[in-house]
This record gives sequence, C-alpha cells and structure tokens, in this order.
Amino acid sequence: MLATLDVVTLSRLQFALTAIFHMLWPVLSTGLAIYLVVLEAIWLRTRNPLYYQQARFWAKLYVLNFGIGVASGLPMEFQFGTNWAPLSEFAGDFFGSVLGFEGAMAFMLEAGFLGIMLFGWNKVPPVIHFLSTVMVAFGANLSVFWILSANSWLQTPSGGTFSDGHFHVQNYFAAINNPFMVRSVIHMALATVETSMLVVAAISAWSLMRQKAPEFFLFSFKLALVILLAVAPLQILAGHESAVQVAEHQPTKLAAIEALWDDQAAGSSPAWTVLASPDEASGSNRWSLSVPGAFSWILETRPQLSQPLRGLNSWPTDQRPHMVGLLFYAFRVMVAIGLAATALMALSLLLWWRGGLSAASFARWPWFSWAWILSAPAGYLAIESGWVVRCVGRQPWTVYGQLRTADAASVLPVGEVLTSLSVFAVLYTVLLVFALYFGSRIIAKGPNLTLEPPGLAAPMILPDRSGNV
Amino acid sequence: MEFLEWFMPTVWFVILALFLLLYVILDGFDLGVGILSLTSPSESQRTILMTSLGNVWDANETWLVLMGGALFGAFPLAYGTILKALYGPIYLMILGLILRAVAFEFRENAVNKRPWNLMFGIGSLLAAGSQGICLGTVLSGIPTDAAGHFIGSPWIWVNPSSLVVALTLIQGYVLIGSTYLILKTSGELQRLHVRTARLAAATTLGGALLITFTAPFASETLRQRLFDPTFLPFFVVLPLLGVALIVQLFRSLAMQQEVWPFVYTVMLFILSFAGLGVMVFPAVIPPSVTIFQASSSVSSMVFMLTFIGVLIPIMLFYNIYNYIAFRGKVSAE
Repeated sequence: MLATLDVVTLSRLQFALTAIFHMLWPVLSTGLAIYLVVLEAIWLRTRNPLYYQQARFWAKLYVLNFGIGVASGLPMEFQFGTNWAPLSEFAGDFFGSVLGFEGAMAFMLEAGFLGIMLFGWNKVPPVIHFLSTVMVAFGANLSVFWILSANSWLQTPSGGTFSDGHFHVQNYFAAINNPFMVRSVIHMALATVETSMLVVAAISAWSLMRQKAPEFFLFSFKLALVILLAVAPLQILAGHESAVQVAEHQPTKLAAIEALWDDQAAGSSPAWTVLASPDEASGSNRWSLSVPGAFSWILETRPQLSQPLRGLNSWPTDQRPHMVGLLFYAFRVMVAIGLAATALMALSLLLWWRGGLSAASFARWPWFSWAWILSAPAGYLAIESGWVVRCVGRQPWTVYGQLRTADAASVLPVGEVLTSLSVFAVLYTVLLVFALYFGSRIIAKGPNLTLEPPGLAAPMILPDRSGNV
Repeated sequence: MEFLEWFMPTVWFVILALFLLLYVILDGFDLGVGILSLTSPSESQRTILMTSLGNVWDANETWLVLMGGALFGAFPLAYGTILKALYGPIYLMILGLILRAVAFEFRENAVNKRPWNLMFGIGSLLAAGSQGICLGTVLSGIPTDAAGHFIGSPWIWVNPSSLVVALTLIQGYVLIGSTYLILKTSGELQRLHVRTARLAAATTLGGALLITFTAPFASETLRQRLFDPTFLPFFVVLPLLGVALIVQLFRSLAMQQEVWPFVYTVMLFILSFAGLGVMVFPAVIPPSVTIFQASSSVSSMVFMLTFIGVLIPIMLFYNIYNYIAFRGKVSAE
C-alpha cells in the first residue's frame, strides 16, 4: 500500500485529515458565539445573576475550543502554498483574495474582540462588553461566509474566464456570489448553530441526569431547545436545497451520492435507493434496498423527473468521482442524523408542552438523557459527512470542470509530505484526546453559582483564565 | 494602466510588509514571553507571564494569517514558490504555533501544569526559530526557473546563514518579550526581565552585526544592492539610527525606565525591517522574481485594496482599543 502512495494522494490525505480535524472547532466558535450573545442580552435586560453565570460558564468551553480552532486553522491556509502551489497560481487572483478578506474582515474581528469578551467584564462598560460579544459572533459568521464562498467557487467556478493556466476574474461579485454560494453559506451557518445547540443540550442533559445545578442546566437546555426548534426545520429545507443545486450543477456528484449507475429519462419515476453495496468495477450495486418511485419525490417533490439524470456509467471514469460507497453512506449518515435529531427535538417539545419536562425527567428517563447526550457527537459527524460529500464528490476536480486535483498538487518529495502527514496524524489524535479530557473536566466541575456579576462600582480586578475573579 | 501596473504591486508590497512587521512585533513579544516562561522561577510568576498574553495572543497571531492571505491574493506565484521551498520550516512553525496555542488553553484547566508549561515554551521557541529560518532562507535567495517556480533542494533552508538569522530572531523576540514584561509587571519579576532584556539586547546586537557583515559575502544580489549609489543614503542613515537606538535602549534599561525599553525595541524592529525591505525591494522571491512578475492582475489587486485597505485602520483601531482596555500592570489571581 505504502509503495503505491504518490505525492498527490499524500497531499490529499493531509488536506483531508487537517480539514476534518480543523472543522471540529469552528462549529462552536460560530454557533456557540450566537448563544453567548443571546445569554448576555437576557442578562443585560433582566440583570438576573443566573444569566451572567450562564454566559461565564459557556464561555469557558468557548475559549478552550477557540484556541485549538485558531491553531488548527493555520495549516489550512498554508497548505495552499506548500502542497497546492499550482492551484494557488491557477486561482490565486480570486481564491487568495477571498482568504485575505476572511482574515481581515472576519478572523481579526473575532480575535480582536475575544480578549474583551473573555476577560473584559470588569474592564469595560457593559454595553461595550456586549458589543464585543456581538463582534465575536459576527466575525465568526463572516468567516463562514467567506470560506463557504471560496469553497463554493471551487464547486461552481464563475465570474471570469480560464485561459493559459489561469483564472482571470472579470466580475468579482459574480465570483463571490457563484451559483453554490448562498445555499451553501446558509446550510453551513445553520449547521454550526444546530450542532452547537446540540452540544449545549447534551451537556445540560448529562448534568441534569446527575442532578447537578438543575435550575442552571434546565434553563440552558430549554433555551438550546427553543433555538434548535427554530433552526432544525430550516436546516432540513436548506439541506434539500443543497441537494437540488448539486443536481443542477454537479450531476456526477449527485449520481455518486445516490449510487445511480444508469441514465434516467425525463418523465420516468426511478426508485430511491435507501441502502446499497455499490460496486465500481461492475458499475452497479451488488444489492440494494430501495423504495419504488420515490426518487423524484425526494429530489423534485413530484411524481416524475422533469429533467433526465445521467448515471455514473455514462461518464468516462476519469471524469467522475470514485469512492462511491463513501459518498453514498456519508450522505445518508448526514441526512439520518439531521432527521433523527429533529425527531428528538419534537419529542422534547411535546413533553415540555404536556408539562412533563422538568429537571427530574432527565434522571427518571436515562434513555432520554442519553439520546440528547449522543446527539452532540452525532451533530459533528453530520457536519464532517457533509464536507466529505461536498469535497470528495467534487473529484476528480479541485476546480470543478477546470482544474484536476492531480494537476493542482505540488510536485514534492514523498518523504516530505509523508513526514508532515504523520506528524499531524499523531499530534491531532493526542490533541483531540486532551481537548475532550479538559472539556469534560470543565463540565464535571460545573458552573460557579456564586459568581457575582460586575457591579457599577466594581474594583479593577483582572479575572484569571478560568473565569474566577 | 502603466501607472497602476507599477503602483499596485508596490502598494501591496508595502501592505504585506506592514502586516509582517505588525506580526513580528506583536506575536514577537508573545513568542518571546513564551520562551522566557521556560525560565520562570515559580508557577505564580509564570501565571503572570501567561496572563499578560491572555487577551492579545490570538489577535496577534492573526496578523500572520492576514499576511498569508494577502500574499496569496496579491502575489500568488510567490505564495506557491516560497511556501513550497520552505516546506520543512513552515510546517515546523505551524507545529510550534499549534503547541503554543493548545498548551496555553490546556494549562488553564490542568492540575499538573508542568507538561503544558514545557509545551508552551518549546512551542514558542520552535515557532520563533522556524520563522528565523524562513526569513534567512528567503533573504539568501530562492532558486527559481524562468517561470518563477522553485527548482532547489528540499533542504535549501538547512545552512549556516539561516541558522544565524534564526538564532538572532529568537534573541530579538526574547528582547521584545522582556521589554513587554518590564511594561506589564512590577517588583522582582520586573527586575528579572530588565536583566533578560539586557542580555538579549547584547546577543541580538551580536547576531545582527554578524548578519550585516556576512550577508554581502553570501549573496551577489545583496552585495550589488549594498554598493548601489542610489541606496547609499539608506545604508548610511539606517546603521547610524540603529546605533543611537541601541545606546538609548541600554540607557533606558540602566535607568529602570518602564515604557521606553519597549518603545526603543519596537523602533529597532522597525528599523531592521526597513533595512531588509530596502535590500530586497522590488524582489518578492529574492533574488530574481520581482513583485511585478509575481503579482496577480491589476483588477484583482485594486479589488483587494478597496476591501482590505479600508479595513486596515479599522483593524488597527479595535486592536489598539483592546490594548488600552487592558493597560496597566498584570497581577496574579
């Protein structure tokens, strides 16, 4: 196996590994920031210390998460130069500018106000503090916008022309607002909020199951649930819209995520495959479990296809993605998690509405608590699966239809890439273990319920990193 | 159009230099404090060192991200060529910065702080050293073909002159870190860092002199530039200013001043940086590829400038506000 590894594969593996690891952290940096804004707004309105303690407790997890996110983001940016120099040269005019905007508009805003948000409670007036929290959340979400705009451009490049090995931008706004951009930004932004709220709900459920700080965690659970109930249905819609745009712009990706090998004519009513064992060698599924006539309902909400669909077999093998099984199941995992989480939310709402949701419910029904606890890792798994669908499904292109991944990679010594890849693999495994360990310590320790909010005549004391004054 | 084709790459060269300078000064003192934390005599003193960075280190590191993005957008060819040539030290720097960042967060939550203290210091040292190696390698030149693509060995960065630059940059970071701590601490800790500042100032000066006198022998291009009469005024004025600033720095340390050592160090950084800028301009991949050859299209640079140019004063404004909000001495607790 090792002998057959070429440098393109190694660079791809390294990008996949570092991206999958990096993606774990911006989820909370983006979604939890919005939760912190909501908490602080409630606190400023009510001046009830409970909400202040809420803001301080969740901010502790936020900062642990943020540092790793910042650090693991560095290799993402630098890899475009070190391992993907031909891509940088090909698309730098646009792609590099967008990464520059992300840094200047989003990342700096977030980092510049983070210090005040975390340690500035006694240093600045409450309004300025609130403004800082808003800026952190705004900056993080602007990051989502720019990164998803850049990635969408790789999926649906537009706004210029391709000649002599370069992309020449003609209309920047058309390139930024490429066909995939709007729906991808919405899908990702909702995903970060949904998964962050699943994390808050999971931690709350875990603590409630153990009857720790019940008043505190029942509130955080309910607030997270309210936000989830608003976001999750929208996300199902956004997910559907994303699939529709894939069908429109990336027919090879659609065929792969549905393990669709043969062409389907307009007006036909194909079956929708629920589970299958895709076999690329024979260009068919070894076995499959499918629902007759359901495909067009799912894709177009109508009984027959309005457009013909091309199956994988109708493309030359060097013009369509491989790893069909991975794409097929990654897509299903994402969808199943989204639907299951929404069902859990609906059930919890029903309980709440019927008056059955109290701090005691979580101890009484361990299955209920565990369903919520497991929803948090499931949320992350759904996001990672979505990215696998998005980027593995784009293959064999880095810039869809324009630049092949094999041509986008730098020619580097195999040993060099193998070394950096191995170091990342070991380092990231260790970091993940310790991040989970320290995160669980913060959760086990629980909130500080004696923490006094900063008063008007508060002395100028610098709180330490753990948030104690 | 003629004018813009000369003007825009020059503007972006200056902006990149500004981002890099801000990074080297700001994360320079973060990394310097990180290296110094290895020598902290007690845990409570180390906590003060770390607290002095708590609200600023990630914003400071962001200038590097910004510099990377701007280099990518304005000079895509240079981004690909330089980073590919520096594959080893770039990843060592990233490794160092990752270790530094996670050690910072993990230490706060750890009962046994020793492994994280060590990781914080070593990460800072590794990042500082790798940056020095990158700088040294770029200054001594990156071999390219006619299209500007890297054609050298993957070990191009392993040589004595890069090592000297790396050691000097580490000393420089320790110097600026020490003077930052003189500003932010008091009592015994402050006196300790007056001593480290004095030591680091001497070693930095030694390294800088070594680089200044050996560089012309190492690189043909640098030799030509140094004896080019157009640039002669720079190479007369800059060293004189440098000597004056060094004298002032030592005097202010001897007089136990709190603010001035940091100010003089920052001025020395700016001066050295200006010197390096004058030596390489207009090359963006020294010695041969200029900013005019490596730049993206004029429209692309204009577009980036309208967005990022407007944001530069805004970014500076809220970063300065952050420093003002946290002005004064750091206390333990």
